[in-house]
Amino acid sequence: MMDLAIRDIRQGLGRFTLTATGLGMLMSVVLAMTGIYNGMVVDATVLPDVYDGDLWVVQKDTQGPFAESSRVPALLVDRIRAVPGVQRTRAYMTLNVQQQLPDGETLRFTLAGLSWPDDLGNKLPLEQGRALRQPHYEMVVDHALGLPLGATLKLGRDEYTVVGITSGMVSSGGDPLVFASVSDVLRIQNDLANEALRLEREARVSRVRRSPYGRDPTNLARAGTPGSLPATAPPPVTAVLVDLAPGYDKETVRASLNQWSDISVYTIDEERELLVRGVIDRARRQIGLFRALLVVISAIVMGLIVYTMTVDKMLSLSLLKLLGAKRRVILRLILEESLLLGLFAYLVALLIGELGFDLFPRRVLVQNMDRVALLGVIVGISVASGLVGLRKALSANPNEVLAS
Amino acid sequence: MNERLGKIVLRIEGVSKVYGEGPTRLEALRPTTFNAVAGEVVAILGPSGSGKSTLLTIAGLINPPTAGSLEVNGKLAIKDGRQVTNLATLRRQELGYVFQRSNLIPFLNGEENVRLALEIDGVSTRESRQRARVLLESLGMGSRMQAMPAKLSGGEQQRIAIARAMIHQPSVVLADEPTAALDSSRGRQVMELFRDSAHKHGAAVLVVTHDHRTLDLVDRVLEMEDGNLNETQPIADHK
Ligand SMILES: Nc1ncnc2c1ncn2[C@@H]1O[C@H](COP(=O)(O)OP(=O)(O)O)[C@@H](O)[C@H]1O
Ligand SMILES: [Mg+2]
Repeated sequence: MMDLAIRDIRQGLGRFTLTATGLGMLMSVVLAMTGIYNGMVVDATVLPDVYDGDLWVVQKDTQGPFAESSRVPALLVDRIRAVPGVQRTRAYMTLNVQQQLPDGETLRFTLAGLSWPDDLGNKLPLEQGRALRQPHYEMVVDHALGLPLGATLKLGRDEYTVVGITSGMVSSGGDPLVFASVSDVLRIQNDLANEALRLEREARVSRVRRSPYGRDPTNLARAGTPGSLPATAPPPVTAVLVDLAPGYDKETVRASLNQWSDISVYTIDEERELLVRGVIDRARRQIGLFRALLVVISAIVMGLIVYTMTVDKMLSLSLLKLLGAKRRVILRLILEESLLLGLFAYLVALLIGELGFDLFPRRVLVQNMDRVALLGVIVGISVASGLVGLRKALSANPNEVLAS
Repeated sequence: MNERLGKIVLRIEGVSKVYGEGPTRLEALRPTTFNAVAGEVVAILGPSGSGKSTLLTIAGLINPPTAGSLEVNGKLAIKDGRQVTNLATLRRQELGYVFQRSNLIPFLNGEENVRLALEIDGVSTRESRQRARVLLESLGMGSRMQAMPAKLSGGEQQRIAIARAMIHQPSVVLADEPTAALDSSRGRQVMELFRDSAHKHGAAVLVVTHDHRTLDLVDRVLEMEDGNLNETQPIADHK
């Protein structure tokens, strides 16, 4: 039996291609949504994955750095090291930085501290360069930041040199990560805070100067006085990461740490859970809903297209019935065309994904499983649309041939 | 030539058709009985609305009669107004159709349109292609059979349609005004084709026509009026 579907498609190839391309674009958005979601999950867990401490010690009654702000004294790093079963402790500390470059562009990134000398960033996925070698003035930046190896950046009062470049290291907010020693991060935090204070003070002074108050020099002086003195105690860090000694069990060490009244302890898996479930859950539901909506829209659009294609073929279908064609012939014609349309759309979607998803500002991670799932969805939609068309097709009346 | 020749291949007994009900009720075909024999061409004449198409579509098993019985090539299709066998199978194997126009599937070329009639009955592509080519060449369409229907003239389309109606060697071919869209010389060519094919393939051809000038090519003439079918005088006297 000759393939009727192929011949019908060939006859209206331009229209078929356009339709399939349109559907494919719709499908590519479904695929993009999936990829964006996967990307969010991966991006969100970059930090815990890269630090990979067995236990995360945070401020009492907070859930840790990824859910809410936490401050623990820096000295805790040494205190915990003395607990039996603890092999290594590291301070964990991040800082969101927004920096105006001389050319007017704004750099936004998350500064993450590495505990010198226990952690030099040797586990970072380096694309170029090296990990930290000195405790100060060196940084490893992510590729997405756009700074080349050897570039310098003034943060606070000091200049920092790019010694290594990573790939795919972003914060859960999507900002590129920059790694420096914890002490550098603390210093930068302090400098930037002072800078902010100074700027605010200047603004206050100039406001007062412009007002009638400003004529009185005492007022001007008062406006320029800092409200409080900066603290002199060592600044707190966000959390302390604990690596266990071999043969020690997480729960045992956690139990002994929990006896301290000023901290809460989580395992790394709990921190990851928190991130995926807590922080990005709403985004996930949003994307899931949007994706479901798109699938429904695609199904409706495709059903309409296949229905229209069938209506356009009613005369041929009537003729086929007149000639005594079995139902199977008509079924194959309609379903095959519907499936070919779906498959073509699928290929277009894959192609768009292949060419276009890299241009997205944030990670779009499409896995083979997602491609297979999309194929499943498309085949499902195609079959459903084919059945809609088939209902119409089987209503073709051989008598209609004469009426035309 | 053909073992069917001379055999009754279409039996119509007391067949009638009523369209609608109540005030719109219309008896388009009064109870009609007639037979057609393999190898003969039967012309059906009659004014518009007299029931010619109704008769043809009933004989063609695409329009169920209100009453009566119908047999094609010895196979009972309808008994007392009831379908008694798979009509699609009978259509596929025993019947061929040609209409005024819209005979061809637009997305198949000439040869494929002809082959289709064989392939929907399970004939292999190789055999159907071979048979379609031989037949189309004998109809003078050898050079045009790869063209799509839209690229063919009306006369060429009708020749393809006749080939499609004949290719599976049906016992009955039904043609409803097949020459109406053609000029008189092409119309005559088409009628000649029907005559030759009827003899060659052993089919009874029922053809509705308005063109009295081609009646010399047919074996019998039937006339319809208000749903009544009457056999007129033999063709020799008709001229
Ligand atoms: N499907 C139908 N429903 C109702 N009336 C019909 C239908 N088909 C044909 N008729 C009527 O039956 C009569 C015979 O029609 P038809 O067989 O087409 O005549 P002819 O082919 O001789 O012109 C006409 O009056 C026509 O209006
Ligand atoms: Mg008619």
